[in-house]
Amino acid sequence: MDVRSQISMVFHLDKCIGCHTCSIACKNIWTDRGGTEYMWWNNVETKPGTGYPTRWEDQESYRGGWEVKDGELRLKSMSKARSLTDLFHHPSQPALDEYYEPWTYDYQNLFNAPEGDDQPTARPVSMVTGRHTEIKAGPNWDDDLGGSPVYAANDPNFSNLNDEQRAQLFAVERLAMFYFPRICNHCLNPGCVAACPSGALHKRGEDGIVLLDQTRCRGWRACVPACPYKKTFYNWKTGKSEKCILCFPRVETGQAPACFHSCVGRIRYLGVLLYDADKLELTASLPDEELIEAHRDMILDPNDPAVIAAARRNGIHDSVMESARKSPVYQFVKVWKIALPPHIEYRTLPMLFYVPPLSPVLSSKSEGVIKNETETLFHEVDNARAPLAYLARLFGAGHAAKVRYALKKELAVRLHRRALEVGDLDRAAADRALLEADCTAQEAEAIYKLTALCTFDDRFVIPPSHREMAIEMLEDPQERKQAAGFGFLAGPRRGA
Amino acid sequence: MFPITFLLLSALAALPGRASDLAPDPQDFAQNCANCHTIGGGRLTGPDLKDVSGRRDKEWLLKFVVDPKKMLDGGDPVAAELYKAHNNVLMPTIAGMNAARVEQLLALIDAESRLEKSRFSGLELINRPLLPGDVLDGKALFLGRKPLKNGGPSCVSCHSVGGMSGLGGGLLGPDLTGVFARLGGEKTLAAWLISPASPIMKPVYAARQLDPRDILPLVAFLKDAAQQGRPADSIARLAFLILGLLGAAALYVVLDSLWGARLRGVRRSMVNKRSEAHDV
Repeated sequence: MDVRSQISMVFHLDKCIGCHTCSIACKNIWTDRGGTEYMWWNNVETKPGTGYPTRWEDQESYRGGWEVKDGELRLKSMSKARSLTDLFHHPSQPALDEYYEPWTYDYQNLFNAPEGDDQPTARPVSMVTGRHTEIKAGPNWDDDLGGSPVYAANDPNFSNLNDEQRAQLFAVERLAMFYFPRICNHCLNPGCVAACPSGALHKRGEDGIVLLDQTRCRGWRACVPACPYKKTFYNWKTGKSEKCILCFPRVETGQAPACFHSCVGRIRYLGVLLYDADKLELTASLPDEELIEAHRDMILDPNDPAVIAAARRNGIHDSVMESARKSPVYQFVKVWKIALPPHIEYRTLPMLFYVPPLSPVLSSKSEGVIKNETETLFHEVDNARAPLAYLARLFGAGHAAKVRYALKKELAVRLHRRALEVGDLDRAAADRALLEADCTAQEAEAIYKLTALCTFDDRFVIPPSHREMAIEMLEDPQERKQAAGFGFLAGPRRGA
Repeated sequence: MFPITFLLLSALAALPGRASDLAPDPQDFAQNCANCHTIGGGRLTGPDLKDVSGRRDKEWLLKFVVDPKKMLDGGDPVAAELYKAHNNVLMPTIAGMNAARVEQLLALIDAESRLEKSRFSGLELINRPLLPGDVLDGKALFLGRKPLKNGGPSCVSCHSVGGMSGLGGGLLGPDLTGVFARLGGEKTLAAWLISPASPIMKPVYAARQLDPRDILPLVAFLKDAAQQGRPADSIARLAFLILGLLGAAALYVVLDSLWGARLRGVRRSMVNKRSEAHDV
């Protein structure tokens, strides 16, 4: 057993209201520099939709992530031979048009325009060329199902829906959507790290945050096609790639990352997970349907004495273990099993988990009266507006069982609370739902509490990072203090 | 690029000649004049220079030797007459030639003219009749199948000749099919080849002189080529162009298949497809 600690995340999609506050918080802190205008380390997508960059889930085109070939895990985007032929051009790298051409507006014109018959306008100006531009796409162009005949209809996750199911999803009365906020998943088996020819990308030993060293990056851009979630970006101004850093300067000082901190719907949870690194390669090369279970098996119980002993051998501090025991992520992922990894079939073993969303109630309108169509107060999982097959494509590697289990449990918690609070539901019906969902009343209460009544401290259990210890493993702080001045004297730039 | 480099080199090669102001320099004559001229040995490419001072006005000689092309272009009647009389072969302008050098050369020629037999009365290279085997030998040398004895580059790198198969020779130098006739026979051609006077060949072969044993077969080959009289294949040039185009096309095909699965505009094609369907 090779115990490692990893800062992991859960996004509760049932609570996301799609306000993009997280994206703005991230943008303002990290990507408001030259060359990063088009980057959104955090973005919120509407599903069904094509996302950012357009159709990023279509790995036939983008060739991100891993595949099992001859019993071995291989990067889809790279091989030894291809690293030579693709040295200066990665054939599956998204172009700017797949992201969008960033723009601002000619605000000065509002003040400086000469007197005329019409109101002056602020025309859009491209932040790449500096010229007036016509906006063709944006990072959330398909927000709230905007342009859905083009965008939502091309969602790659419809691959295993039949035509009838598709037609149903787009029928006006049934139309459903939900939001899918995305950041770097800080994967256990990151494709970007494996693809980097310069060794600039690394997974931090103490907390598993995947970082890109700006001084070692040589701008080969191999990471961009290799990441199946398209969460590494190339900065055209510095000539280096960049990615989400999980706000590590904030995390190291005990604050939640900016996107977590600013989340209006309080959908984000952060905490430590312990995992067994010995199982990594085997897990990542299993068949699709076994991936979720095996991934969950890698996560270790922080209360198990054997795990505690092994963790101590690996130098994991007791305070981190304590934090792991309080981790909300552990509850969602391992105990309640209602948080699932996104697209685990890409085999990077993401450590950001999603609680799948329940669909809105299915109702119909006749003679001015809106009628609930389901017998039980809420909808049935198998007959939800967002088809189970669709959610299974996103969170179940194409297999519905794990998604159904999660949704049933979420629904059971709702029914349980409805019976308790409102009382218009038969207690026996609620208990039956709990039983069917493999959930006790006690567990339902716990889920309810962490979902609806959670405070900052419940949601963010940030482990003390012990940077002083981590640093001492690499260098002597005393020596560094004497040898180096302070400050970041040379910013990242081309050729350095 | 290359001609400029060669010109610079030839200018450098001429420097010592300009520097010696003292006495007539036989080396200068041997290197720059003897390939076309003899003193009392009869005509080669250019006229025999024995007693040339007596035949021509000194001032004219000074001007002509420094820049023959200027004289011809300037409409000088004597230059025009000489040009016509020598198969339209104009004396090359020697890099670094100036009045002082010409004076020295003239002094040397005058001195040599007074001798019974000048050392520049012509070299006896062709001392046996040319054999049919020499033609084949010469062809091998010309095409570079057989290396030149002193390691100089083969003729084919810069020249083409009639009856060559394939893509023909290089295009930097002139077609050599008629050179035998133009220069005026075996002796002249051989003399030219000992130390070629053209500004490009001169520096190239200065360090790797053609060996007399190479010159004989080459002369035989060029004589044969002149007798056959077939001009160099103009199709060869076209073939070269077409082959180049085909090669480029083949390269594109290879690269396209190598990157066949590359990403081609996901968003734009998606939106265009939809709006096309909508228009119909």
